[in-house]
Amino acid sequence: MDFGIEDELHLLVETAALFGAQQLAGQERMHEQQRSIGNALHRAYAEIGLADLETPESLDGAALGSLAKCIVNEELAACDVGAAIALDRLGPTLYPALEFEGAAAVARLQALCDGPAPRRAILIHEEIDRDPGKPISLWVDWVPADEIAGVMLLGPTRACLVTEGIETRPLHASGLRASGGCSLHLASATAAEQWTGPDAASRAHARARLWVASMMLGVLRATCEFSRLYAGQREAFGKPIAHHQGLAFLIVEMNMALEAARLLVHEAAWRLDQGEDATLESASALVECIEAARWVGPSGVQILGGHGFMADYPVEKHMRELRTLGLMGGGLDAALETAGRQLETGVPPLNITTPVGERK
Amino acid sequence: MDFSIHPETQEAVEAVRDWGHEAMRPAGLEADRLGSPLPVDHPYFQRSLERGDGRTSWCPGESSPVRRGAAVHAMWLAEEGAYWDRGVMVANPGPGLPEASVLARGTEEQKEKYLGPFVDPDRPRWACFAMTEPSAGSDAAAIQTTAQKDGDAWVLNGAKCFIGGASRSDWLLVQATLDIRQGRNAQRSFFVEQGTPGLGNFKIEKKMGLKAYESTSFTLQSCRIPLENLLGGESQPKSQAGFKTAMQTFNAGRPIIGAMAVGMGRAALDESLHFAKETGLIKRERIRDRIECMSRKLRSARLICLRACWLVDQKRPNVMEASMAKALGAQVSQQAAGLGLEILGQVAGTGDHLIEKLYRDTKAMDIVEGTGQIQRVIMARQLVGLPR
Ligand SMILES: Cc1cc2nc3c(=O)[nH]c(=O)nc-3n(C[C@H](O)[C@H](O)[C@H](O)COP(=O)(O)OP(=O)(O)OC[C@H]3O[C@@H](n4cnc5c(N)ncnc54)[C@H](O)[C@@H]3O)c2cc1C
Repeated sequence: MDFGIEDELHLLVETAALFGAQQLAGQERMHEQQRSIGNALHRAYAEIGLADLETPESLDGAALGSLAKCIVNEELAACDVGAAIALDRLGPTLYPALEFEGAAAVARLQALCDGPAPRRAILIHEEIDRDPGKPISLWVDWVPADEIAGVMLLGPTRACLVTEGIETRPLHASGLRASGGCSLHLASATAAEQWTGPDAASRAHARARLWVASMMLGVLRATCEFSRLYAGQREAFGKPIAHHQGLAFLIVEMNMALEAARLLVHEAAWRLDQGEDATLESASALVECIEAARWVGPSGVQILGGHGFMADYPVEKHMRELRTLGLMGGGLDAALETAGRQLETGVPPLNITTPVGERK
Repeated sequence: MDFSIHPETQEAVEAVRDWGHEAMRPAGLEADRLGSPLPVDHPYFQRSLERGDGRTSWCPGESSPVRRGAAVHAMWLAEEGAYWDRGVMVANPGPGLPEASVLARGTEEQKEKYLGPFVDPDRPRWACFAMTEPSAGSDAAAIQTTAQKDGDAWVLNGAKCFIGGASRSDWLLVQATLDIRQGRNAQRSFFVEQGTPGLGNFKIEKKMGLKAYESTSFTLQSCRIPLENLLGGESQPKSQAGFKTAMQTFNAGRPIIGAMAVGMGRAALDESLHFAKETGLIKRERIRDRIECMSRKLRSARLICLRACWLVDQKRPNVMEASMAKALGAQVSQQAAGLGLEILGQVAGTGDHLIEKLYRDTKAMDIVEGTGQIQRVIMARQLVGLPR
């Protein structure tokens, strides 16, 4: 056992934290208002190597795994999660490409999104596999992007990529506006590419869920930290509000929830990086993040009292964005379904010896 | 026991429902999309006035008649109004929050002068109650705004924030202290009329939700007001009277705020249920169980609000019940809106769906008029003698 972070990862954390502090922090309201982050930021992100963390070495990427990505996502999202999403052009569409095929598919995706103006690929988790022969019609009410170059549909055992016939309509999204926001429509589109393979699909779902979960960790952390520091400075009834037990316990609970969620995410990511099946672990890590987000976001606002309700402080944005993040990665119910089904069929998750019922 | 609604109340609730559907909800959505409060000359306000809103319950020359079951009646109306739009409800013209204080403590001249224009208003008129300051909200005894006597005037100095309707109010009932060191004992309430020199720097805050009404900060700089603008006049009992009056303004409203929260939660529940039925999601046990749980919690919160109001009508103490109603209503409505977001999924990600607005709006209910923590402190004092 070792809960420490390796040197290489540590360096990465520092790089991401520095980038976040210098380039993202303080700009989040502007990014939100402009619905974009600007090309200069994309360049800076690519220059320090953050854009290609999980890209295979053959494509000049760092070929790192899910754990590294999760740690970087948390750092960036803690500063501005909308920007963190906008910066990641392929986002979780990388995972079906990687898991089903590998470098070649990633290269094609990269080419698709390449261009002077930022274009993104969007991943949609689906509960049923599409018939590869049939045209694809689909309506998605909201995705956090404006310019969409490709839509990756990921089912239980298959994936397909649509690159043409994508219609979008911009909208004023509830959160994550820094990365845009639109409704998405595919009308009898044909798949440009398709893949089959249950294991690859399962791993792609798992990695994509962790991508979302780790973004949530960043925002959870930001709201925990901001409200904790505020509570140490704000006084009511003759002492810092943090020293009123009712609030002190709330702050403690929030930090416990963050730590619990983070460890689930890290363990799941580590298992994936070891090549293990972490379907259950990654689904339940996302569930844990979404459940924490339900109350940690509003608690951040609550700790600031009336000030929290005003746009002058970041906590109201955290609260909104935590909820919108929870709609990604297939959402809560799909993750619960996956985790539940694993409990039915898989190895009991907490056992380290033979499960009781199976003992001879 | 009798859980039925009085026919008169039922009729009034139905009138609110019609008005809410036709006018309140659209006005609320409009303000939300615009991101700023409904302007003073918005046609909604004139129509609201014509409908009979925006008036005082004070009757000149009479001691205000208190109808039987008034609090329960008010509760049902509050729930229904907030169901359609809580922000618009607060934005409505009328003497609003300070009315109760003026009725309870004001001199006859003050009632005449400040509530008089609300008897049969010629145009939409507003008033507001200004307690909160940038550095003191929950700890209302710690406010820093001072009032000093100078010849024939009170001179007010300080800053207030988040005050509902401040910049459009005819007058503001401002809470100030005669001596900061004496805490609550030295607090008094003062009528400050709009336009008084020294009253200014109005800044309408950008809020997360409830955008239909303005929450405004302002300053008082050597603001001179006549001596008779002290609520209750010079003769009011000295110790704690001012603080108590101010607190009464809030206390009376607690179960009503709870009921508003329940109304908002009910709106969220309706959206979720409607969506779940339309899409067939309701057939999924996981979804159905959550909706059942939410409707159960909303019903129980409503009953707690009702009981707190019923105690008021019985002239029995309700400190505990009122705080419970406020705390629980706020909590449950947030949960209902949150659940709605989950059930509507991507649809809720679009920022222009009612459920998304409700999620932002309901958050305020746990902050305004005594935060959830403060309600718990009050209940803990009652239950386990939590020391002050
Ligand atoms: C939409 C909106 C409208 C409003 N309208 C008005 C208005 O019209 N007039 C007016 O006067 N005010 C108004 N307010 C202000 C409101 O009453 C205050 O925001 C509220 O009382 C909380 O005060 P605060 O914001 O200063 O928070 P603080 O008092 O700073 O509290 C911060 C946090 O500390 C907690 N806390 C404080 N004391 C304790 C304790 N003893 N134990 C445990 N926790 C504690 C609080 O619960 C809160 O979570 C409005 C606020 C909002 C959001």
